[in-house]
Amino acid sequence: MGKILAIALNTFKEAVRNKVLYFLLIFALLIMGFSSVISDLSIAAPEKMVIDLGLGAIDFFGFLISVFVGIYLIYNEMERKTIYTIVSKPIDRQQFILGKYFGLLITVYVNIAIMSIFFFTVLYFREATQPDVVTKAIFKELGPGKFESVGNYYVYHVQAFFIAAGKGIATLFGYWEPITHHLLRVVFMSAMSLAIITAFAILYSTFSTPTLSAVFTFLTFIIGNLCEDILRYADKLAQKAGGVAQLVGPDKMKYWFAMVATHITPNLALLDKFSDAVHGPWDAKTPTIHSVPIDWVVVVYGITYVAGVLSLACLIFNRRNFK
Amino acid sequence: MAFRAPGPCPQKTTIMIVIQTEKLSKIYSHDFIDVEYGRIKFNWFRRTVALENLDLEVKEGEIFGLLGPNGAGKSTTIKILMGILFASSGSAKIMGRPLGDKSVKQQIGFLPENPFFYDYLKGEEFLDYYGQLYGLPKSVRRKRIPELFETVGLPAHAPNLPLKGYSKGMLQRIGVAQAIISDPKIVVLDEPQSGLDPLGRKEIRDIILSLKESGKTVFFSSHILSDAELICDRVAIVNRGRLTAMGELGHLLSPKVKEYEVIASGLSKETVENVRRNAVKFIERENDVLVILPEESQARELLAKIVQEKATLVSLTPRKETLEEYFIREVSKAPGESKTAGVAGVR
Repeated sequence: MGKILAIALNTFKEAVRNKVLYFLLIFALLIMGFSSVISDLSIAAPEKMVIDLGLGAIDFFGFLISVFVGIYLIYNEMERKTIYTIVSKPIDRQQFILGKYFGLLITVYVNIAIMSIFFFTVLYFREATQPDVVTKAIFKELGPGKFESVGNYYVYHVQAFFIAAGKGIATLFGYWEPITHHLLRVVFMSAMSLAIITAFAILYSTFSTPTLSAVFTFLTFIIGNLCEDILRYADKLAQKAGGVAQLVGPDKMKYWFAMVATHITPNLALLDKFSDAVHGPWDAKTPTIHSVPIDWVVVVYGITYVAGVLSLACLIFNRRNFK
Repeated sequence: MAFRAPGPCPQKTTIMIVIQTEKLSKIYSHDFIDVEYGRIKFNWFRRTVALENLDLEVKEGEIFGLLGPNGAGKSTTIKILMGILFASSGSAKIMGRPLGDKSVKQQIGFLPENPFFYDYLKGEEFLDYYGQLYGLPKSVRRKRIPELFETVGLPAHAPNLPLKGYSKGMLQRIGVAQAIISDPKIVVLDEPQSGLDPLGRKEIRDIILSLKESGKTVFFSSHILSDAELICDRVAIVNRGRLTAMGELGHLLSPKVKEYEVIASGLSKETVENVRRNAVKFIERENDVLVILPEESQARELLAKIVQEKATLVSLTPRKETLEEYFIREVSKAPGESKTAGVAGVR
């Protein structure tokens, strides 16, 4: 375990020196920051737009970090021949794969945490800087139409930002307000989905080049997220033809391709709780009734999938010759 | 896995064979399609034999040099022994146990050829990481790492300097340090002197000798023969994947004096002309002459002339066969021709 941890921490140290990581992170934070501005253009439910863009950014940029950092991790070890000194040490090759996986996962999760804190900060700040809230905070009503200034507009905003940032950090540790109470759970499910994708990125990089690994991981992510739609499409094809046996020509090929693809890839749609969070019938004032649940069966499904994919990666890596 | 030491020694000393390979072979299969110089190349079932039936024995406590030209199979042998490559056939044992055994790996330190290390790590962090891979406790690592910096002769600022700021010589030294961090019994070095300047080569040579002094077995590959000749107890020469010769240098190299090198000053023109005719090599510079004579009688004759003409004898060196000459002779032989001679001669 100590050796896996050593490899994981070294992988994390290596990953945080990757410039791509910072570009992706900055881009994600910019999107979240601007979502607040863009949402004002929305006719109805601007909060939904902020939440949708924020959660989407966390998931998508988490995925991009996992792919662009992950595909190079093992490849670089082989290309730079640092693997020579590692495999000659008293460690198993599977310990190396697990170390790399957990190192990458730590990197992805640290980034998710940063993005989440920023996202929650944006939400709290947005709420604290609504025109009526600001007015109430900096003006005291003396009588009808008579107001006395009790605070500075800019000072209030700076204060609100720091309070929002504090609350943002606290939210990551379980603190919630009506606007954020269910969002941490969505982020948790996103993190679970990224654990699966990260395992796939590691698996592909044990036997192919970075470009191919990226393509394979993208396909897995897309098919995994569209799993249920693809299955529905396959069912419709079969229904239209009057049963699977009646399928002919391209439709038969499409049907079987869809079936094979969806059965190989994980069903990431199970872990996607965005629509529940954004469009679901939740009421900010009665959070306990419409909260987004953590489906523990899905979590077990995810962990099992990760174990399976990593076992396969270890199996391939155990047989590799490093020229 | 032990045998009685050869020779007249009466005591029952047993010498452990720490590395042994039997008919070790490695055949590389090429990818079906390859892009070479911008063109697609089809390699239908193309194979390259990198190593063929290699039998090696390395004894405990010795410095063993694996020598051979580029592409001879030296690195392939070491990579198989270190578990980086898998052999196509044959077997190998280290300390009597099969390759890949973790308890054996614990006793081996390895430095690959032209190593590239994690350049973002500082010297100290780097050694700490490798110490952790050996499973060394923190207290041991904390004590051992400063000692290692001193052992391999790295400057005082090296522990806090990221590896990207290290020179080639410093990298090679920290590479040796990571190889010996666990105080292993066997140290395997792949071309440890490649790319180093003469001073760097000497330092690595000294480190290898000090490793032997501390009781470790050193197995290294090299094509720098002059260095190998200076430090190796035994050598093996591989060429085109095959073992050409193996044994102690004293057995491999002819003990007979091959030629005599004389440097003299102030000889008469007539004597110089006479000597030039007999010499294998002749160099004249101002008043000095350097002559290489094939026969002892010719050297004696020249010495008499020096005395007679009251000239000065600067040096007289009887020259034996060098490892380089032996190596070139063995390597240029046709495949299969030399193996029997060399190996049979030493076993």
